Amino acid sequence: MTTAPPLLEASHLSVRFGVGRLTVAALDDVSFTLAPGESLGLVGESGSGKSTVLRAITGLAPLSGGHLMLDGVAVPTPRRMDFFTAVQMVFQDPYASLHPRHTVDQILAEPLAIHRIPDAEARIVAALKEVGLGPSYRFRYPHQLSGGQRQRIAIARALILRPRIVLLDEPTSALDASVQAEILNLLEELRRAFGLAYILVSHDLAVVAHLCERLIVLRQGRMVEETTAAALRDGSVKADYTQAMLAASKGFTRPAPADPAIAPARNI
Amino acid sequence: MTAPLLEVEDLRVRFPLAEGTVEAVRGISFTLGRERLGIVGESGSGKSQTGRAILGLTAKPGEVTASRLVFDGIELMTASPQVRRSLRGSRMTMVMQDPRYSLNPVMTVGQQIIESYRAHAPVSHREAKRAALAMLEDVRITAPDRVMALYPHELSGGMGQRVMIAMMLITGPELLIADEPTSALDVTVRGEVLRILDQLVAERGMGLILISHDLEMVASFCDRVLVMYAGKIVEELASGALGAARHPYTRGLIGCLPKLAGDSHPLPVLTRDPAWAR
Repeated sequence: MTTAPPLLEASHLSVRFGVGRLTVAALDDVSFTLAPGESLGLVGESGSGKSTVLRAITGLAPLSGGHLMLDGVAVPTPRRMDFFTAVQMVFQDPYASLHPRHTVDQILAEPLAIHRIPDAEARIVAALKEVGLGPSYRFRYPHQLSGGQRQRIAIARALILRPRIVLLDEPTSALDASVQAEILNLLEELRRAFGLAYILVSHDLAVVAHLCERLIVLRQGRMVEETTAAALRDGSVKADYTQAMLAASKGFTRPAPADPAIAPARNI
Repeated sequence: MTAPLLEVEDLRVRFPLAEGTVEAVRGISFTLGRERLGIVGESGSGKSQTGRAILGLTAKPGEVTASRLVFDGIELMTASPQVRRSLRGSRMTMVMQDPRYSLNPVMTVGQQIIESYRAHAPVSHREAKRAALAMLEDVRITAPDRVMALYPHELSGGMGQRVMIAMMLITGPELLIADEPTSALDVTVRGEVLRILDQLVAERGMGLILISHDLEMVASFCDRVLVMYAGKIVEELASGALGAARHPYTRGLIGCLPKLAGDSHPLPVLTRDPAWAR
């Protein structure tokens, strides 16, 4: 009996930048699997390598060790066209990831042209509808859209090729809280509708717990812990670092006022 | 009862543009003692423009009007530009959002701190350097003499923000306006920067206005929170009393955040009532 291979399998990924004494290990021995329709979170502070994981998957960062399997088949470097019909990415800052001099129509037509997909007209109108924008947005420029609308366009651009995996790099961190809620709802809805698998990078534990069932905590390029959203919710995460992040995300806690008798004198 | 540090009454900020006049701040009033006051709102609610107007940093062609804008007995609206310039930087200062864009990229950290100190105090270079080192130590920078010689691009985000705080506090201001001081930082570093701000404010008896979009962080940090929407204050809350929020906008803002405890799918979405902006 054979079990189906996972949709995406990353084993012992490592990414190094620089040579010799200046080598920086951005990723060091990171392994995970992603099942179809599953959603995996990557959390950690700046510089922990969480975005590098996504860049390594898409081939934007060179792998210096480990390998990637898509549907049980090794992913070649450089990536082939068919890889990108299966895997697409949404970037962090919708103010920077859309071409400022292309209309929404041009932005959405580009992936279709690259992959020689016919019937662009109908696909563009349908893609706009999927992300909750009317056809009136089709001939606007990015500067005529709000942050939330831009992120919807970025999501539409990723989905227009009907990928099975969407890589989300901090998709809501540049947005207001109320707009974040709309985008998170949209992502959940699309995942249900198209059976998408997500890899979500975020520093916001609440956002990750909301969208993902499983998550990986990274620190300085290494995996600290692999845990579940449920463990995050009831506070039963094991690693001290995860506990510290959990405590820090709960807001500011004022330390108890120090006893002036024992506090060291400070010259101000 | 001593007079408050800052009194603001009917503050308005207008931008006359080709498409018509935009009123960014529409008649807000509050007073500030030596306490921590939070101003919360979404992008475009006028919270940063409020901070800038108090300091007199409103960008042209913006116009500021107020029936009262008094800082420690000085009427700012009628004060001459010279008076305002002498206040700005020495008695009232502002910490900006992103250290990467607010520090001079071609000057070392030390030069910048010394420059800002000497612009306001008649001290020798050597004395200013000593004060700068002490100030960097106060914001918990280890090895301040090494950091003094670094350029801004060599600093991490948290370190850059602490350098900014040091630069702003070295003149011993009485009023500090911090505009999103932690939103460019990680959660773990955020706590540290807030603790430093908290301690310095308490030690020096300063008044602090903390401007942020992060309602939960501000409510856990400040003594009082003003919630702004479309250029107006819609609600004032006491510290830690987020649950007591009554205005539908505040409640909606709290509701639409994903929470670790008691998650809801889909998230409730804020529906805006045009009546709130009236």
